[in-house]
Amino acid sequence: MIKTDVLVIGSGPAGSSAAKHAALGGADVILIDKKSEIGTPKRCAEGVSKAGLADLKIEPDERWVTKELDGVRLVSPNGTNVWLTSNEIELPEAGYILERKVFDKYMAMDAARAGAEIKIKTLAHAMRKEGNAYIVTCEHMGELFEIEAKIVIGADGPESRVGRWAGLKTATKSTNMESGIQFEMVGLEMEKSDVIEFYFGTVAPGGYAWIFPKGKDIANVGLAIITKKTGKTPYEHLKEFVANCPATQNAQAVEINIGGDPVGGMPKKIYGNNVLVCGDAAGQVNPLTGGGIISGMKGGMYAGKVAANAINKNDYSEKALKEYDELIRDDIGPELDKYLKVKEYLSTLSGSELNSIADAFQDIDFEKVSTTELIKSLVKVSPKALLKLGKLI
Amino acid sequence: MIVKDWCMFCGECAGVCPRNLIEVKEYSLVFNDEECKDCSTCVKVCPVTALEKD
Ligand SMILES: Cc1cc2nc3c(=O)[nH]c(=O)nc-3n(C[C@H](O)[C@H](O)[C@H](O)COP(=O)(O)OP(=O)(O)OC[C@H]3O[C@@H](n4cnc5c(N)ncnc54)[C@H](O)[C@@H]3O)c2cc1C
Repeated sequence: MIKTDVLVIGSGPAGSSAAKHAALGGADVILIDKKSEIGTPKRCAEGVSKAGLADLKIEPDERWVTKELDGVRLVSPNGTNVWLTSNEIELPEAGYILERKVFDKYMAMDAARAGAEIKIKTLAHAMRKEGNAYIVTCEHMGELFEIEAKIVIGADGPESRVGRWAGLKTATKSTNMESGIQFEMVGLEMEKSDVIEFYFGTVAPGGYAWIFPKGKDIANVGLAIITKKTGKTPYEHLKEFVANCPATQNAQAVEINIGGDPVGGMPKKIYGNNVLVCGDAAGQVNPLTGGGIISGMKGGMYAGKVAANAINKNDYSEKALKEYDELIRDDIGPELDKYLKVKEYLSTLSGSELNSIADAFQDIDFEKVSTTELIKSLVKVSPKALLKLGKLI
Repeated sequence: MIVKDWCMFCGECAGVCPRNLIEVKEYSLVFNDEECKDCSTCVKVCPVTALEKD
């Protein structure tokens, strides 16, 4: 049987980050992924913030940055625009648009360079506890084999099973799982090619539609919805959006992507004896934007570091691994909570309330305006919307 | 469970399965039909309606 200190299951951004930091901390690390090509197919609109990459000490590389952005366009149901730039407001996913297929591979390569052993096309099929270790049954090209690991890090994405195999309550409720669907398109005609666009309202019930430009006339055009909130399928919503959006009238799809995005925040418990869970598998996703690349990689980084420490101290108990939980919640917890509140607020607003808010904000110079003034203009257009906001905060 | 041939193995169904019964391989889905209680949560979330109860 293969034995290792740390087994990381899943080589997305979170898993590769975990494997890298565990290896840098001196642990023996194996990183497995069921995919034959790490990063492909993507389940992502590929937006990340510059600050997020800097926090992770990752230098942008021209092989995986397709476009640098500065700004956001918010479009209300009746088409009213609010334009924002990063000087004006902190923008979570508006820094770079990546090429995830290349980015994910590069992150795995960093893990390999740090000393992790990668096994591709290797599926974690089952997991059982034996003494002070987990035995994971893996499948590679029809062959079953076992890996014994002192610590398992579950970074197995939105389809996650590892946490639950270890008895953690990490299942995603269907009302917290956004169903995403996206075309990568060519022939876009955008008003500004260096901003990301968000569209709200009935185009995407429970979520939003987006256009994330990838340079030239290329963009990711997609949407994410809560399926319980609509009678149409995500694909029907997407086809409708593309048929009606001015920017996509002459655009054509060269790729279709689908995927679930867990937007309910982190489950109560994401660690246990000999196990840690990070990334989408641990709900490390911005509940409003659905962005989980940076937050998942931060989860991976802390999981990897704490796992390596535990290996060095020969203590893989829940108590020793709890530090992971503290580190990740200190770092991203407040932000996740904040965005969860904004999301709850937005979900209480009707289409006409969204329109009147957009109307009030469309000509505001956010750089110059104070919060009090923002609230004053909101009270003018929609006292009801403000009242709902008051109840939430 | 019937898995239509346009399934893209995104795994959203597995993430919401309350009983953790769906294995998502690179190009196939394996359902543990024996333990399935027919809640249909997986069927409802699929972005491309590729699942059908049999
Ligand atoms: C439509 C859509 C758009 C999005 N847009 C953005 C965006 O613009 N910006 C952003 O920051 N985030 C975005 N997200 C979210 C982002 O894609 C995820 O948060 C991110 O990929 C999470 O990284 P991860 O490493 O946790 O999981 P993943 O990237 O999903 O990686 C998990 C890996 O685990 C592997 N795996 C799973 N199970 C097993 C197993 N049993 N054995 C072996 N391997 C296994 C998978 O093959 C996969 O490679 C979007 C999501 C969706 C669905």
